[in-house]
Amino acid sequence: MDLKYVGKNIKRFDAVKKATGKALFLDDIKLPGMLHAAILRPEFAHAKILSIDTAEAEACEGVVKVVTGKGCDFRYGDNIRDLVPMAVDKVRYIGEPVAAVIAETRQQARVAVKKIKVQYEPLPVYVDALAALEKGAALIHENSGDYWHLPGLGPKPGTNIANLYQLKKGDIDQGFKEAEVTVEGEFVYPFGSCAALEPHGAIVWFHEDKTIEVWSSSICPFIIREEIARVYKLPESDVRVHIPELGGCFGYKSDITVEQTIAWIASFVPGRPVKWVATRKEDFTSTLLGHGIRIRMKVGAKRDGKLTALRTTVYHSTGAYSDTGVHVSIAAGHNSAGTYEFPHIHQESYLVYTNTPPIGAFRGYGHQEGQFAVERLMDILARKLKMSPFDLRARNYLRPGTTSSLGERIYVSNGDVAKCAEVVKKAVFQGEKPREDDQYWYGRGFAALTKTPKGAPHSSKGCYLKFNGDGSVSINCGGAEVGQGLRNVVRQIAAETLKIPPERIRVYTEIDTQFSPWEWQTIGSMFTLQGGAAVVKACQRAIAMLKKTAAQVLRVEEDVLDYDGEHVFLKNDPEVKIEVHRLTRGYMYENGMTAGEVVQTTSDVRLPRYSGPDVNGQGTMGVSYTFGAQGCEIRIDKATGQVIIDHFASAFDVGRVINPEQIRGQIAGGVMMGVGATLYEEVKFDKDGKCLNPHYSKYRFPTIKDAPRRQTIECLETPESIGPYGARGIGEHPVIGVAPAILNAIQDAIGVEFYELPVTPEKIKAALAAKGSGKAGK
Amino acid sequence: MAEAITFKINGETKTVAIEGHEKLIEILREKLDLTGTKCGCDDASCGACTVVVNGEAKKSCVFPHAKLNGAEVTTIEGMTGKDGGLHPIQQAMIDGGAVQCGYCIPGIVMELHALYSRNLEAGEAEITEALSRHFCRCTGYEAIMKSALLAQEYLKKGRKKAKKGK
Ligand code: FES
Ligand code: FES
Repeated sequence: MDLKYVGKNIKRFDAVKKATGKALFLDDIKLPGMLHAAILRPEFAHAKILSIDTAEAEACEGVVKVVTGKGCDFRYGDNIRDLVPMAVDKVRYIGEPVAAVIAETRQQARVAVKKIKVQYEPLPVYVDALAALEKGAALIHENSGDYWHLPGLGPKPGTNIANLYQLKKGDIDQGFKEAEVTVEGEFVYPFGSCAALEPHGAIVWFHEDKTIEVWSSSICPFIIREEIARVYKLPESDVRVHIPELGGCFGYKSDITVEQTIAWIASFVPGRPVKWVATRKEDFTSTLLGHGIRIRMKVGAKRDGKLTALRTTVYHSTGAYSDTGVHVSIAAGHNSAGTYEFPHIHQESYLVYTNTPPIGAFRGYGHQEGQFAVERLMDILARKLKMSPFDLRARNYLRPGTTSSLGERIYVSNGDVAKCAEVVKKAVFQGEKPREDDQYWYGRGFAALTKTPKGAPHSSKGCYLKFNGDGSVSINCGGAEVGQGLRNVVRQIAAETLKIPPERIRVYTEIDTQFSPWEWQTIGSMFTLQGGAAVVKACQRAIAMLKKTAAQVLRVEEDVLDYDGEHVFLKNDPEVKIEVHRLTRGYMYENGMTAGEVVQTTSDVRLPRYSGPDVNGQGTMGVSYTFGAQGCEIRIDKATGQVIIDHFASAFDVGRVINPEQIRGQIAGGVMMGVGATLYEEVKFDKDGKCLNPHYSKYRFPTIKDAPRRQTIECLETPESIGPYGARGIGEHPVIGVAPAILNAIQDAIGVEFYELPVTPEKIKAALAAKGSGKAGK
Repeated sequence: MAEAITFKINGETKTVAIEGHEKLIEILREKLDLTGTKCGCDDASCGACTVVVNGEAKKSCVFPHAKLNGAEVTTIEGMTGKDGGLHPIQQAMIDGGAVQCGYCIPGIVMELHALYSRNLEAGEAEITEALSRHFCRCTGYEAIMKSALLAQEYLKKGRKKAKKGK
């Protein structure tokens, strides 16, 4: 395929506004009469609220209203409806909203909120799923059996289990009977924060005409609209949600997070907009965290390396509310099989209520947690079998004709993991690694990976396209630009399909539910594939309309016409032609009469046959697989225990590169995020559920000094069958293989097996000391 | 008690009334409508709020108003020419592919502005040191380093041209 705009480094059009400081983010928005909110958080992570005294706060300067959860009689959520906008009679985590002050200025609200007095009766606190699962544990949700939930999901009343997902493939007992060797381990992926540079925030305005207007730093305006309309009993069309520029997302700005709380607060001052922006501390403790996943895994294989069985149990500490965590634990379950065909699988994911902030999406969404375990075990198994880890993996890769854990058949069009592995092997494992010296141990590690979308059956992405009078084009989609560059992807795909230069195509700069096409939410690395396919469809429809009008004017059949971006012309006589701009509003004859329609089209694309899980937890839930491989060369400082990444290599079969510079940026950034999770980052809680490090300085956010010294990034292009020009997603993939690749390299360097993240210098030093220091390395 | 402070902001002298608690970032964003300066944290860690005060890169989120009287402050808004033309550092951020979400970019531009104004010959180690005061969650820093070097190149070329012009 000869492509003119797809595959080219076309500069993103939003870069100028961002580089000049003129891009509007949530906190940059000022509205007439705008008030500011500050929110009170509890002193205990689990407690009954006995009383709230707001008198002193009400008397403070500038205070307009003090709000509590009293009288709130609804719950929200679109998976398991267990969320409340503000604590009513008890608090379940340390960041929960207890009360709020609305004042004329942010400063006044923050001063006054400290004057609210609350009396609590503390209850037992559980930070880890295993503790909350113990017999006799206090219930975090006493009435969880009453909560609405999607079919197939739901809490087990009388326990702290919010959901149990089970997956069965084949016969697990048979699988382990056939096994000649087994390996097992318990792996921990601790709490993390997506920690986007821009914190969460929202503005909500209850208008006098009973409509509600919302601005939010979110990637799912339509879910916000639907949920707010539902609880305030309005038609969805009466709630309007705007999404300005977003300063990063990485998962935790998906689902509905802070918006219902700000709506609840704003509902007390109808007629005036109320703004709230999280402090960094609140962004850690009062939005969504990631991971919190413990996995017990056992793998069985024949002596020749053929895998026979996989047993996985996921214990997911999902925090105080489960609505946003439930699909993470399901994804962690079925993705724990990684890129391998296991004939027999038994897998259980326990989603457990605990007293931490709720867990939600984190770039990777269950994939990195599950595959961290299986990729570590593949290396451990290879050593046990005395096989090369590459050969062991290659023996078992998902390839055309095999079936995934979900029971989906793999086709050529799903991409080629073996080829990705070859690329990484060549980049990292050629020649000998450096020999241990006075200062460092050296190691190399590898991991293969896969990413499937985690969507919903109705998940759809749409496109509105409008040809303007001069032949330029305006395009509107519902996909949230979080920095990943999807709007530029839209522009390049449209330019290619419409055969017009990208400069003649203007893509939306904000999402507004009043004007944007419906999109479920921009998650799961699905926009390029689904949104891109919708753009192609809308463009093709527009071209068809142009031809239809031209056929009428030229008095020929449509199928003898062709289109080249500037003209619609007769195939057999290109001199018979009409300029596109004369067709876009319908054709006008010299006498002023017109023919044909205005060229504006709509389209939407969903995943074909995507389904919910069946009785065995299987189903069509992958649809579009992406494969990749990652590897690294590291150095460990003997004096400090610090891991230095000299070289990190990634190869992904992306189907089609739309923009090489952007895809490299996505991958380099994702790898860095993975490095952070592997070596530094953990949101810590004490036994009382208090967060110990809810600040950037204490969370150990990776800086330029932590970046891999060199990155090799290669993209393979085995075309996807439904993606635009064969493209599939890449957003989340780069984080998935990082932890196992680095931990496998650490093992290679010092012979220590790590099972828990993050592997900090202190942990390395402690492990070496335990091992009998100085003797490490091989 | 309201007091007033007078300082130079992006070349213009301004007097603002303050209540007393404000840091520079609030004066910029809330009183002067200069919202290009971003806030990313609450403990002076991320660098998103960096501006240039008297030639030095400063975190405006902790810069007290008391030190502002008579000072000369440049923000991201002051980098763009009166004709709307981009500053070479801004252009380099775009050309080097450093802009993803863009939230960290104004701070980084200001940091580099301070650095290169002081020492256009800064080596990679010095540039890395300056950039290590800035968090970016999107890029993995690869494109940011590339853009920083590109900015240096653009500025050097500009200086040469200016010299020739004389
Ligand atoms: S906002 Fe000033 S350093 Fe983060
Ligand atoms: S570009 Fe998003 S934080 Fe740097």
